[in-house]
This record gives sequence, C-alpha cells and structure tokens, in this order.
Amino acid sequence: MPRYFFNLRYGAGLGKLAVDPEGDELADLDAARQHALQCARELVAGSRSFAVRDWFACSFEVEDANARRVLTVPFSDIVPEDDDED
Amino acid sequence: MAHIQQSAVRNRLLKVMIGEDFARLQSHLEPVDLLVDQTLIEANIRTEYLYFLESGLGSITADGTNGRVEIGIIGREGVVGASHVLLGSDRVPYRHFVQMAGHALSIRAGIVSAAVDESPTLRKLLLRYVLTEMIQVRQTAIVNATFEIEVRLARWLLMCHDRAEGDELLLKHEFLSMMLGVRRSGVTLAMQQLEGAGRIRARRGRITVLDRELLEEMANGSYGTPEAEYARLIEGA
Repeated sequence: MPRYFFNLRYGAGLGKLAVDPEGDELADLDAARQHALQCARELVAGSRSFAVRDWFACSFEVEDANARRVLTVPFSDIVPEDDDED
Repeated sequence: MAHIQQSAVRNRLLKVMIGEDFARLQSHLEPVDLLVDQTLIEANIRTEYLYFLESGLGSITADGTNGRVEIGIIGREGVVGASHVLLGSDRVPYRHFVQMAGHALSIRAGIVSAAVDESPTLRKLLLRYVLTEMIQVRQTAIVNATFEIEVRLARWLLMCHDRAEGDELLLKHEFLSMMLGVRRSGVTLAMQQLEGAGRIRARRGRITVLDRELLEEMANGSYGTPEAEYARLIEGA
C-alpha cells in the first residue's frame, strides 16, 4: 500500500506547516482523503493549540512518498455543505 | 547466582525500602532486559511477574474503538503491575509494555503478595506507591481536560525526561500521539511550537530536551504535583 504524509497547514508561510515525518499506509487517494477528514474531525473536537486560533482555517496538504502534493483537504470539508456535494 | 545488593539497585522503591523488607524480596529478584514494545503485562490475563524498573520506561495503555491511548507511565520510581496485584486482583484490563528500552528486576507476583502480608512496613511503602500511580492518572485526566496540546506535550516530555538516562528521548510521534490522545498531526504541531521556542529539538524518533526550565514553564503547573507527592510519600521529602 502507498504511504501518504499528512502535513498540517495552519497558517501562511513555511513556518506554519507541521510536516508529518512518519506517514500512514492507505489503500488509495480516496482512503487518504477519508483519513485526513477523520484526523481533522478529531483535532477540531478534542484539541486546543496555542498555534491554531481556528481549526477550520487549517488544511491537510497530503504528499506521497516522493514528496509530491497529491491532495489538499481543508478542515472545512468535514462539514458537508448542502449544495456543494461532490 | 549472586543476589542483587540493595546498594547497587537504581529503582527508587527498592532503594528506600528498609533492609529487612529488601531481604524478603532479594533472593527472588531476577535481572531482565526490557526491549522496546515488549509486553510486560497482558490485558485481562493473570499477572505472573511484577517488574521493578531500573531504567527505561513502561507504558500502560488501553485499546478502544478509537485506537490505543496511554493512561500511565512507569520508570525507575515504580513497579509495573504492582497496583492491581497489591489491591487484590490477579489481572487488569490494560496492556503494560516497554516504551523505552532498559532493565528491570522481575519478581513473581505471589512473592510480593506474600511479603506484604508479612510486613506492614513493606505494605505501607508499596501501597503509598500505588497511590502515587493513582495521582498521576488523575493528574492526566485534569490536564487532558483543561490544557492545550503544547502544555500536555511539555508535561509528558518532562515525565519521560525524569525517567530517561540523559537528554535524548527515543520516542516516535506515533507513541506521542497515543500518550497525548491526539492525532499525530496534533503532536507534530505541538512539537513544532516547543521546538520553535528552543525548548526541544525533534528529529525522527528522537527528541532532545534543550532547556528543561523552559519546558517546565510551558507545562504551566500541569507538571509537578504527582512528582512532589511521590517525593513526600515515598522519599519523605
């Protein structure tokens, strides 16, 4: 299974990216997206951080094992929008 | 094999025990190596051995539907498995395993139970130790409910630092995530804040404590109460 790295973007600029050093093995890109959403849900629900004023302004920048960006998952995607279903 | 001498042990409980109580355990103590990930106590299975840690770090974890969460750590201040055995249960619903490699003196659970039945002083010492474990767990509940992940991370790193040999902690993010009950990206985020402030240096699987005082400042009172209680109850500080 491919390994995906879930880098957490919590503000603009290089310093505001929490780079995932370990990654997770997931079946495919869709599984990676679901994983990112689950992580986002748990962070929003259970974590306060001095570095994050608003979790919903954050996103996961997902990279593959070659450090290529393959997906961006905004935390706001955990809340379904009525007319924005994909 | 020659018996372990009390003057040579590093475990803080064995050190402070009166000589007579140490002698009750002495011939039954077996030195063992602790390897990373090694299970010391299985959940829900009869506990045969207790482990007085000499170095390294033991972790108590609970497996739930949302993954594994750490609910306590034990280093050379303690005995892995003591709390349930001394309180009269032969098993416990939590797995205890080795998080940082080290050494321990293992002893059959039955020997310790019999020894505390015979010695009020040993019973008092070990039950006080059990109380300090309870205090640690209660403190964790307070901290997890009320503090930011940076504070929680600072506290856990201080607790690991107390039990480590030097300033380098060999801890994977995966484990820190379990320790703090937060997703790994939350750990990475908190780590970055502590690192940016010069408190620690984090490399893959290796965290170096650069400035313990700054780390204590970040812990903001969440660290220290169980440690002070241990010193008061066990070492008479």
